[in-house]
Amino acid sequence: MNKFAFFPGCMIPARYPHMEYAIRKTLPNLGIELEDLPEASCCPDPIYFKSKDKLSWLSIAARNLCLAEDKGLDIVTNCSGCTATLSEARHLLEDEELRTKVNKRLARIDREYKGEVRVRHIVTVVRDVAGYEAVKESVKCKLEGLKVAIHYGCHLLKPSKIMNVDDPNDPKVMEALITALGATPVRHRNWFLCCGKACQDEDIPANMMRDILSTVRDVEADILCLICPTCFSQFDHGQVRVGKRFGEDFNTPPVYYFQLLALAQGIQYENLGFNRQRIKPKILDKIETTLSHA
Amino acid sequence: MNRMSSENNLDKPKEDEIVRIDFAFRKELAEKVEGNLASFCYQCGACVGDCPATFYSDDFNPREIMLKVLYGLEKELIGEDSVLWLCTNCYNCTERCPQDVKPVEVIISLKNMLADRGIVPKTVSRIIDTFEKTGRTVQLSSAVTKERAKLGLKPLEEIPMDEIHKLLAPAEEDSGK
Ligand code: SF4
Ligand code: SF4
Repeated sequence: MNKFAFFPGCMIPARYPHMEYAIRKTLPNLGIELEDLPEASCCPDPIYFKSKDKLSWLSIAARNLCLAEDKGLDIVTNCSGCTATLSEARHLLEDEELRTKVNKRLARIDREYKGEVRVRHIVTVVRDVAGYEAVKESVKCKLEGLKVAIHYGCHLLKPSKIMNVDDPNDPKVMEALITALGATPVRHRNWFLCCGKACQDEDIPANMMRDILSTVRDVEADILCLICPTCFSQFDHGQVRVGKRFGEDFNTPPVYYFQLLALAQGIQYENLGFNRQRIKPKILDKIETTLSHA
Repeated sequence: MNRMSSENNLDKPKEDEIVRIDFAFRKELAEKVEGNLASFCYQCGACVGDCPATFYSDDFNPREIMLKVLYGLEKELIGEDSVLWLCTNCYNCTERCPQDVKPVEVIISLKNMLADRGIVPKTVSRIIDTFEKTGRTVQLSSAVTKERAKLGLKPLEEIPMDEIHKLLAPAEEDSGK
């Protein structure tokens, strides 16, 4: 077993517990073990709290990194926002002056950041530690015939020098992970576009989402697969708003990758929280029952 | 340039033609983490082509924001309804910039200046408050607590807020900045 310190963040445990459930159920089947960090706080988020004061943001992030250092384990995150904050903090703290500043703050709580652990998005851990073959072997019900559009989101890939995940202009990791489930990835024209959640305006994100959802509809994808809970909320609740605003029915259910993996590994549709979504991926219920067990 | 260096000062620029750079503003920005990066901007515009906020709005342009920073045009950036909040934090500009300016980081540093002055949109300040009270940016509802129990997930633990608050307290160590 490969062991990692699990950093679930805020959105997934406090709003989308089924995503956490799916992760905890599926990773052991890929030979990945998770150890909790009970004292961890919000990463803190790279949009709102970071806007208030970067030095405080960096100090709290450093405290979270220290918790993993105590355990001597690399961190695995399940949210692109947490990945962004913790990876960036790790990068910034390579600067000696900044590290000294932050360590002065950490000294107030008897901690010290040493720079001993790595931060990895769960998707890269599955790719690099388990491997696509292991994903394929863990599948009990192939999702054959399912057409899956992908929303990479921004912070898994960028800034690429810090994230080091994949080519930000032509990423492959999600396509490969979906192919491993027996499903068919389809690329839509706006695959690279941001979900717009961080923008404090109504028109810009609404237009961005309309453009993404229209091209997903054009390629006749059954679902939109993603790996970030913030993007998820944008495409679930947000899609209802955008649909109303433009008088269009996109009917594109967003699905968090690990819930899709859980389904393919044989967990029942009803147990995966899909019915709590605003845009329900009912096709997954149907596809599951018509599956031939591999 | 020419007339500035002309020896006889015959065509001295008129007062309204002179760009006066506000160095106090630039100094304040430079003290923020990565706030000084705009100094390396050579105005090529590579950050603009892939910027979704520029594509979807006529009001936003990262190159222009960097130029305003270079000139120190504080009033155009720091105030109510600042254009800075249109940024989607997508990091495309950082990918494209040949000078490693990281425009989005400069923009976030400018937002830090807005926050120092207490000018933060409500949706943003609400989330910041939730974090400062609970250590999380998402409030836990009783429905989710129940759902977690049903799924056999451990209840979420209280975050040691004393530690968080100690880290947040403005530092004597940082001052003199
Ligand atoms: S790409 Fe970089 S150097 Fe070019 S205008 Fe934008 S910030 Fe300036
Ligand atoms: S991070 Fe902001 S400024 Fe940079 S490209 Fe994205 S929206 Fe534009």
